[in-house]
Amino acid sequence: MTQQHDEGTVERHLGRAIAVHDVTHEYISDAGPVVALEGINVEIPGGEFTVLLGPSGCGKSTLLELIAGLRIPTSGILTIGDARIVGPSRHRGLVFQQSSSLLPWLSVEDNVALGLRINGMPKDERKKRIAEELERVHLSDFAQHRVTELSGGMQQRCQIARALAVDPEVLLLDEPFGALDALTRESLQAEIRRIWQETGRTFVFVTHSVEEAVLLGSRVLVMSPRPGRVIHDQELPFAHAREPITEVRADPTFVNQCHELRAMIGAH
Amino acid sequence: MTPPLQTTQATDGRAPSWVSARQRGQEAPKGSIPSWFYPVAATGTVVGLWWALTAVGIWSELILPSPSQVWHAFVQSVTEHDGRPGLSGYYLWEHLWASLWRIVRGVAWALVVGAPLGLALGLWRPFERFAGPIVSFLRSLPPLGYFSLLIIWFGIDDTSKVWLLFLAAFAPISLSVAAGVASTRIERINASLVLGANNAQVVRYVVLPSVVPDLITGLRVAVGFAWTTIVAAETSNGIPGIGGLAWATKKELRSDVAILCVIVIGITAVLLDYGIRQFEKKYAGWYGRW
Ligand SMILES: Nc1ncnc2c1ncn2[C@@H]1O[C@H](COP(=O)(O)OP(=O)(O)OP(=O)(O)O)[C@@H](O)[C@H]1O
Ligand SMILES: [Mg+2]
Repeated sequence: MTQQHDEGTVERHLGRAIAVHDVTHEYISDAGPVVALEGINVEIPGGEFTVLLGPSGCGKSTLLELIAGLRIPTSGILTIGDARIVGPSRHRGLVFQQSSSLLPWLSVEDNVALGLRINGMPKDERKKRIAEELERVHLSDFAQHRVTELSGGMQQRCQIARALAVDPEVLLLDEPFGALDALTRESLQAEIRRIWQETGRTFVFVTHSVEEAVLLGSRVLVMSPRPGRVIHDQELPFAHAREPITEVRADPTFVNQCHELRAMIGAH
Repeated sequence: MTPPLQTTQATDGRAPSWVSARQRGQEAPKGSIPSWFYPVAATGTVVGLWWALTAVGIWSELILPSPSQVWHAFVQSVTEHDGRPGLSGYYLWEHLWASLWRIVRGVAWALVVGAPLGLALGLWRPFERFAGPIVSFLRSLPPLGYFSLLIIWFGIDDTSKVWLLFLAAFAPISLSVAAGVASTRIERINASLVLGANNAQVVRYVVLPSVVPDLITGLRVAVGFAWTTIVAAETSNGIPGIGGLAWATKKELRSDVAILCVIVIGITAVLLDYGIRQFEKKYAGWYGRW
């Protein structure tokens, strides 16, 4: 386990950029080493909604865990602002691919309270904060429920609330809607876009859906597998849109953008 | 057109019968057979068979006493007769309590020592390498194998028996706690780390609660093991004690008392296990649902 490290004071509302320099990551497994990422160089500007898009196994989760500080790269360095990332920090929250990362022995509100407890927030303040976060993800009515009693989409919202409760500078989301049905997914996409627009935090969002990438991202990094590489990097226009998600989806420029991106990926 | 695929988990009407109503988030169905029916029916069947066997009279009463003889032994065991209390000089509850009290002390010490030891084994690799083999060695010994050593060290009174129970019970507890630590879900540990937890907080907020179900499983194994051990341990200087009482019957050929003891031990052990399981439901009810 890695200890917490001081990465300097966080400039609130500015959001420092994350930089990945020449990062290669290799897993040692029984079947021999697996190169999950090779020669990654990317810059993730503060305050943007960056989407990591790529097929299964291209190293998206690995890259996210490296940014979170949960893994140390085999070679290369990662920085946030001018500090090097050497371990996990509460300033970089993570919404896990598996909702089993919630603590099943706790209620929804106690799960959301976890980070606040860890950081020693007094009880009164904590209560207020939990109420706000639950409100934000529309889970107020389920505060007392066990997380095992929630639906998949509610569990992911609970994870998002837990991560946001400590007010992180960066929120990393690993395919948070991957296991959900299309309708639930659409409503959560709208929520996550609203939350990003509201908080102005740096979001790094992993998905393997081209549509989701174009819909939510202000920028997309396309990755390819074996070895994991970033093969394309492009700005996207819809992240700041205010109209309902369904309208964006019907927008011909949106449809075109998806087409182009898909063709781009196919060409590789 | 093909019907839409069933994508929800089979948790409702079509769930296999071993999936409990609670797991499915349902009430037990109304009008179904009440839960007390099965144990009562099972007891009735066994006693009925027993009674029938003795009524036919294949074996002499000395070998297989009838239910009514055992009942008579029970009455003797809880009353004063010939100027002496109960059986072998003590009432039945005194025998039972003596054994239980030994088990409670032995298992309590095993918890106090075994659970932290298991945590240390699970959390600290070098310690696991060092102490793991010792614990495994102790676990694989039949406790009665070293009982005479304990008697030499601690005398023939209760102390050696409590030591014996402690040694029998602590290995299953610490090994299952260690296994519980090792199987703590990595994403839960990571979740606490990205929220800012230090090592002590990871242990406090994630590892300890994760281990509770394993601790309880270890405790159940330990209590079961303690019962088998205590009855044998009470063969020397075990009065009062339910195992000592059972052993003493061989001199007077009181097979009715022997059967009484077996029944009392069985019922007590089952009730104890039931108690632990209720505790488990309360404090580790999440387990197996995720
Ligand atoms: N703990 C591990 N041990 C060994 N190899 C691993 C481990 N985790 C990931 N890998 C390997 O690293 C590669 C990238 O894995 P990663 O989980 O980052 O992919 P991903 O893009 O997140 O995929 P998905 O979309 O399926 O979640 C895969 O080839 C995988 O086999
Ligand atoms: Mg992944």
